[in-house]
Amino acid sequence: MLRVSYNKISGFIIITFLLVGAIVFLNGCGKSESNAETGASSDGGEITLRILENDTAKSQGYLDELLNAFNEAYADEGITAVDANMEEYSNLAENGPYGYGPDVIYQANDQIMTYAEDKHILALNVEDYECYDQIPQEAWDAFKIQVDGKDYYCGVPVNVQEPMLFYRADMLPENWESEWDDDGNGTPDFLENWNDLYALSNVIVNEGTGKYGFVASMNDLYMMAEYIFSYGGYVFGTDADGNVNSEDIGFNQGDAATGMLAFKQFAALMGEECIDDSVKTSRYSNVANGTYFASVSTPDTYVLFHERLVEQYQSEGMSAEDAEKAANDNLMMVELPGLMPANGDLSTDSNSTEFIQTKVMGGVNGYAISAYTEHKEACQKFIDFATSYDCMKLRADMLGIAPTRADVAAELGGVTDSIFNSLNEGNIYLMPSVKAVDQIWDPMQTLLSDVAKDAFRAQNGETEKYTDVSSMQEALDNAAKSIYDAIYTLAN
Amino acid sequence: MIKKVSRRPKAIIDTVWTHALLIVISIIFFFPVLWLVMASFSKTGSIYDFKGFFPSEYSLNTYKLLFSDTQMYDYPNWLANTLFVAIGSCCISTILVILTAYTMSRFRFRMRKPIMKTTLVLSMFPSFMGMTAVYLIMVNFNLINNLWSLILVYSAGAPMGYLVQKGYFDTISNSIYEAARIDGATNPVIFTKVTLPLSGPILVYTALTSFAWPWSDFILPNLLLKNRDLWTVAVGLTHMGETEFSRFAAGAIFIAVPIVTLYFCLSKFLVAGVSDGAVKG
Repeated sequence: MLRVSYNKISGFIIITFLLVGAIVFLNGCGKSESNAETGASSDGGEITLRILENDTAKSQGYLDELLNAFNEAYADEGITAVDANMEEYSNLAENGPYGYGPDVIYQANDQIMTYAEDKHILALNVEDYECYDQIPQEAWDAFKIQVDGKDYYCGVPVNVQEPMLFYRADMLPENWESEWDDDGNGTPDFLENWNDLYALSNVIVNEGTGKYGFVASMNDLYMMAEYIFSYGGYVFGTDADGNVNSEDIGFNQGDAATGMLAFKQFAALMGEECIDDSVKTSRYSNVANGTYFASVSTPDTYVLFHERLVEQYQSEGMSAEDAEKAANDNLMMVELPGLMPANGDLSTDSNSTEFIQTKVMGGVNGYAISAYTEHKEACQKFIDFATSYDCMKLRADMLGIAPTRADVAAELGGVTDSIFNSLNEGNIYLMPSVKAVDQIWDPMQTLLSDVAKDAFRAQNGETEKYTDVSSMQEALDNAAKSIYDAIYTLAN
Repeated sequence: MIKKVSRRPKAIIDTVWTHALLIVISIIFFFPVLWLVMASFSKTGSIYDFKGFFPSEYSLNTYKLLFSDTQMYDYPNWLANTLFVAIGSCCISTILVILTAYTMSRFRFRMRKPIMKTTLVLSMFPSFMGMTAVYLIMVNFNLINNLWSLILVYSAGAPMGYLVQKGYFDTISNSIYEAARIDGATNPVIFTKVTLPLSGPILVYTALTSFAWPWSDFILPNLLLKNRDLWTVAVGLTHMGETEFSRFAAGAIFIAVPIVTLYFCLSKFLVAGVSDGAVKG
């Protein structure tokens, strides 16, 4: 009995060892140490660049197209670009100094400039790039840093990000042309001003079918900043030289408190799930199945809305081909309504309301070169190639992004061109490119969440906290103070 | 007779009460697992399409995607990496732990007590305390992005937990060793021919625990593995997109299959005890 048991265990151990040996041979050894270092592989003068792109570019096949085209174009010079194969938000500051970061990164301006402040990013001679003249100065400024009184640029802008409204054209009210287009310009009024979007949401909610109008994650500062910026608020002010002054925190400036009352008013029509992050995940399927008439997200998430809508149509009985075509035709991505009520009251009739221009928070994604690369010139060639007309147009076509190149934006027209124009006209408030921006998110998210929750306190039997401008102003002042403390007290 | 009649209702109530309690507790523990299993079969893949607790439509599509759609989430590769690390760590750790425990149990040497006390104290600190140091050491050994770095760290730390195995070896009767010694057996022979045959359960227990830790660990692989194609399942699952919930659930369910199978296969060895050998001896 004992011998049998021992033999069985011995057999198991021997088999396990053999299995491990086989796996070691087949799996473990070869791949582990490849491309461990930045731009590491140099075979006979060959240069390998590791490119960190975002996940959408990978999943939609754009990165493969870009790398193949670049490698073909630069085969004679011995430069090869490969996917860095890392997590899209992997930390250059953590990996770069040890040689495990990418050579070229594609990230948002605030992230790149955070690296730049800590000298993880190389400054560029932006005039050398072919795209220089095609990109507006506002986009370049998103990558500007001042050191010892001199301006340096640390990234090449590729696309503009701003909150966009997503909706289904086949879910528009049947009578929209007669009832919802007072100015007769062929565009529904609820896509032009917030009062009519509020009114439409009110109608949908009051039908009692469990559906909603416009729904957003109200604790998301990036998506909801229009309620502050449109009313005179800002992130950081500027000093006499025009440089960002992070001591001047502007979320409580101007009539931001009035805007926040409008924010609270709209939250009341969205249901309590708008208080937290759940809408961020559910918006794709809920717009697709009609639970939400519209929601807000960034242009690079177009493909996620599209995928869900295709699935929705297929679940309704359409063939894959028809569903794809219907989704292409019906999924709409437009800028947020351009007009907000000056008095902060969304419930007034749009025809008798004085409006102000909507200003949204935006960002610019772009390429930058790691300070730890051993192949700076090759990296510059890659960026120059990736920001060429053809590559930017291909990127816009495949990913639905809004390019920063004027010629590509003009060629594509439509919403792409309108985003480009909004950037030019100053209706997109670009996130300041300073490290202090890291400290704005948590205090403002807490405030937005609390104000959104306030919209439901009365119906839950609790006392409302923000009922007038003065109480809202006090909350904004506290948030601004928290941000100041985080930047200048706690972080030091 | 009277006694029997009076006991019966009490026994029935006791049985019913015990079973009811066990069923309630089982449901409490089983429901999250059931929910995850059902979620993994969601047709749409989104948690927000559920009808109440469970998906409105079911499909095997998620499992198909898990193993076929590998462009962004290469689950088969993550599984292979995890298996490689877990088996490698299991083999090396088991040997090291058993040797350490046997040495501490059978031999008396000068620093034995201080070593035992030191390891006892050191084992009370959580393992992630030394992560920064581990990272810097691995950087210097050029072992970042290398699956062997995980095996090395897991195996090196394993002997710290030798106390359970030592306790087991302590229970083996000294007379068995003395008999072997009288027969002329050397220390290696005693270990391989006497001790190991009597140590089936603790070998299996050690192997299982040495396998289970690397199989499900997240912190260390996340620290040391930067490249996507080297990720383990735990790291890969946490990096899945916000709209990939059912794929996450399917991945989480499937990762449990090998370890559950291993437990079932090896559980019979756990019941064969040292008493068998002792009685025979």
